[in-house]
Amino acid sequence: MSYIPIPEDKHFRIKRIGYDPGRSRPWLERLVYSLYVFAFWGFVVATYAGVPALFDWLGWDSGWGYVAMRATQVVMLFLLSAVIALMLILALRKYLGKVQERYGPMHYGPAGGIQTVFDALKLLGKEDFVPAAADWLTFRLAPAVTFVSSFAIFAVVPFASGWTLAETNVGLIYLIAVSTLSAYGVLLGGVSSGNKWALIGALRAGAQMVSYEIPLALVFLAVAVWSGSLSLGEIVDSQMGVWNVVPLFIPFVLYVIASLAELKHIPFDFPEAESELIAGYNVEYSGMSFAFFFLAEFVELFLLPALIVVFFFGGWHGPLFGLEPGTLAAGALQSLYFTIKTAVWVWVFLWIRATLPRYRDDQLMEFAWKAMIPLALFGLVLAAYMRLIWR
Amino acid sequence: MSTISLEPVPGRTDEMVVNMGPQHPATHGVLRVVIGLEGERITRAVPHIGYLHRNHEKIEEARSYTQVIPYTDRMDYVSGTQNELPVVLAVEDLLGIEVPERAKQIRTIFFELFRIASHLVWMGTAMLDLGAITPFLYTFWDREIILGIVEKTAGARMLPNYYTLGGVRRDLHPDFFKDVADFLDHLERRMPDYEHLVLENPIVHARTKGVGVLPKERAIARGVSGPVLRASGVAYDVRKAFPYDAYPDVEFEIPTSPDGDTYARFWVRFQEIYQSCKIIRQLLEKTPKVGPYKGKAPARLRVSGERYRAVENSRGELGVYVVGDGTDKPYRIKHRGAAFGNLQVIPDLFIGAKFSDAIAILSSLDPVFGEIDR
Amino acid sequence: MSLLQEVWQAVKAIGTGMATVHKRVYEEPPTEFYPYVLPDLPPVSVQSLALVENEDGSERCIVCLQCERACPAQVITIERHRNPEGKGFLIDRFDIDLANCMYCAACVEACPVSSIVTIQDFEMSTYDLHTLKADIDFLHEQARRSRQWYSPKFGVEIRTEDGRIQKAPPEMQPGGLAELLKPAEEEVDS
Repeated sequence: MSYIPIPEDKHFRIKRIGYDPGRSRPWLERLVYSLYVFAFWGFVVATYAGVPALFDWLGWDSGWGYVAMRATQVVMLFLLSAVIALMLILALRKYLGKVQERYGPMHYGPAGGIQTVFDALKLLGKEDFVPAAADWLTFRLAPAVTFVSSFAIFAVVPFASGWTLAETNVGLIYLIAVSTLSAYGVLLGGVSSGNKWALIGALRAGAQMVSYEIPLALVFLAVAVWSGSLSLGEIVDSQMGVWNVVPLFIPFVLYVIASLAELKHIPFDFPEAESELIAGYNVEYSGMSFAFFFLAEFVELFLLPALIVVFFFGGWHGPLFGLEPGTLAAGALQSLYFTIKTAVWVWVFLWIRATLPRYRDDQLMEFAWKAMIPLALFGLVLAAYMRLIWR
Repeated sequence: MSTISLEPVPGRTDEMVVNMGPQHPATHGVLRVVIGLEGERITRAVPHIGYLHRNHEKIEEARSYTQVIPYTDRMDYVSGTQNELPVVLAVEDLLGIEVPERAKQIRTIFFELFRIASHLVWMGTAMLDLGAITPFLYTFWDREIILGIVEKTAGARMLPNYYTLGGVRRDLHPDFFKDVADFLDHLERRMPDYEHLVLENPIVHARTKGVGVLPKERAIARGVSGPVLRASGVAYDVRKAFPYDAYPDVEFEIPTSPDGDTYARFWVRFQEIYQSCKIIRQLLEKTPKVGPYKGKAPARLRVSGERYRAVENSRGELGVYVVGDGTDKPYRIKHRGAAFGNLQVIPDLFIGAKFSDAIAILSSLDPVFGEIDR
Repeated sequence: MSLLQEVWQAVKAIGTGMATVHKRVYEEPPTEFYPYVLPDLPPVSVQSLALVENEDGSERCIVCLQCERACPAQVITIERHRNPEGKGFLIDRFDIDLANCMYCAACVEACPVSSIVTIQDFEMSTYDLHTLKADIDFLHEQARRSRQWYSPKFGVEIRTEDGRIQKAPPEMQPGGLAELLKPAEEEVDS
């Protein structure tokens, strides 16, 4: 008698949940991923135009109503950041697949569209424990600090004319302050893990992020000097004629490099060098705490290209085709332009991630202190000079 | 318990003893290095091996010579049939078996194909260690083509068990010559891409130039062989020094570099891929399409005597010392793993380097632990 | 000046690297859609082993024990008794422990009658390790299920649509180049 049960059909087929990608369908992939971009855009329109309109219609305009409206917007932005992380993780995996002669996720959802939902469910299902050698409170708080510092940048990003969560005239200073906080989160997380590798990763991360804050701040200053204002909305407005990338080319290049370093993105992903420290400062994290670090990184992966677009590529400027600026339709069109430009820059970041190896940490530091800061100072002086002459 | 270990020195608070453990993505296998770190600089390094020890030599004492050949495949598992050749050559010498010319040429073609395969694996994993995630996928696709070619003729992909006493086990597949020629064209179209991504990349230059310099005398003293030795300026290649199989009939050069740093090792392996392509092309012309693929080997093996034979593996000099006692099973087979000698330089190269340099150095030494631990 | 040149070289090199990577976006990946599309393995490929019966159902194996002797991993266990009528032996037990098998095909090389062959069933998986010890019925069944197999004595044999076993054409045989080139040589001769 035979020990092994022989299946009925000739070969054993594995049954999978979800879609059968018996062949690849490029049109489906393009459709699904464009749908994601449009869904994102729709969410932005809903948050910035829909919620105020809703509260207007309800009549809850002033006082506590205003507070409630802003709170709803913040909650929707939180959901938006979750959606962004979802999309960007998927976009990263599919793009890396395309570039590496393979397909990315293909099984869950059409052309792999729902894959990240299952990843998130998996992360939720993991045991979220604190190692015995770790400092409990700091270990728990560090992901929150990192996430908050990334998420808080949303407050000043102008998606369209007038579509900013918090209209301040010191947006730039707020930006510098808040993005520096993320260095804290990383340092606290790594140091409190009770693991030598995490410690090494955290110290590297801290040193790197702090060194690259300086050229970043100098570039911000150059942009502020050229545009004459510290408010992001006005910086975008001032790019009506010519985008800032043309006069401020050197600060632009430095800003891209500094963003890559802030993001701990290849070629500066030393702190989380996957092949050396496995995961660097977040090696002891699992489950939802890890998901927060991850979420923070991907939200920043969206926000830093968004800031590149705001500072250098005209933000939401684009042909309006006769629409009245200030109306809902114009706002929607402008936020579409913003979304598309940001998507292009996210694509460039992912492209860099796919191609380059990483620098060693002392080379990183040398580059920041010896090359970028002098260049940034030079760019600042040049911007001031040009403003004096041309404006 | 190992007597070689690294104890933290009491009273010193600036040195951290870290265990780059056997489970690590960058150690190319199961290597454990206990490292003393001062900040980012390594001050002490003690490698521990043996995590992949599978008792090859003892097992082979109880198997006949033809049964030993599948076991040797499993030593340097990335290089396939390259591991089979020293045992086959040694026993052929001891028994006086004649190998037909065509069989020698077929063996050499497979030998060089696996050298390309092994260097492609090295390239992918070395770039992965340095942080670039894409070349890995490209090199593994090229390797898939080679493994497909090998599978059509030899039956298995990575561990083919294809060589035997007197030649090879079965004849070539009808598509073999065309497949190999197509593959070489494909590879030569891809090599410029690899050069752009690996050799010309300024970040790779920054990570590897001047890092891990191995002086010539130190390399010879430590028993290093293969590309590591040639990158330190010593032009020693077993294929030229003690030729075997079809090597006397083909023209090729030995790429050597005087620098001795990690970039030189990268460069030497790249050039070796080109030289292998050249050798295979010459052999594709020379090999008759039909003919004998196996010489006469005695049905009952009675091997007596001792013999050492070495070949030029992708990693260096892979040698085998066979001691026969008159029966068909060896009394003792001792393998000289190529990468084992190469690992001896770890303390020399690690100490004084930064930690990420250590990763780059290890990837350029290209250890495969099947060969080291056996 | 040389600093600027170095910077320009570096930028150019990074640019070429990025262009190299970008080229691939326009190419179709070579990925196969396993398990929805099965790969077409050559008949020489040793993914599993099987015992072939003759077309009339009689046993090809002459129980010479050469495969048991040749196996390096010693996974073949054969027990036999003398045939009461006629010559030769009959099989009592023929087990192959497919879990410990090295898949080196030494047994296939050793078989003088092309009874034990290489087949391409790589999808056997089970929840219990002990069920991976194949007995003779399983091995016969594997051969009946397979479309093609190889052994040195008869070369590649295929099972046609109506279930007959026949020798495969020269294109599938290792060394079939000898067969394919024969007419050309005869033309040259004559």
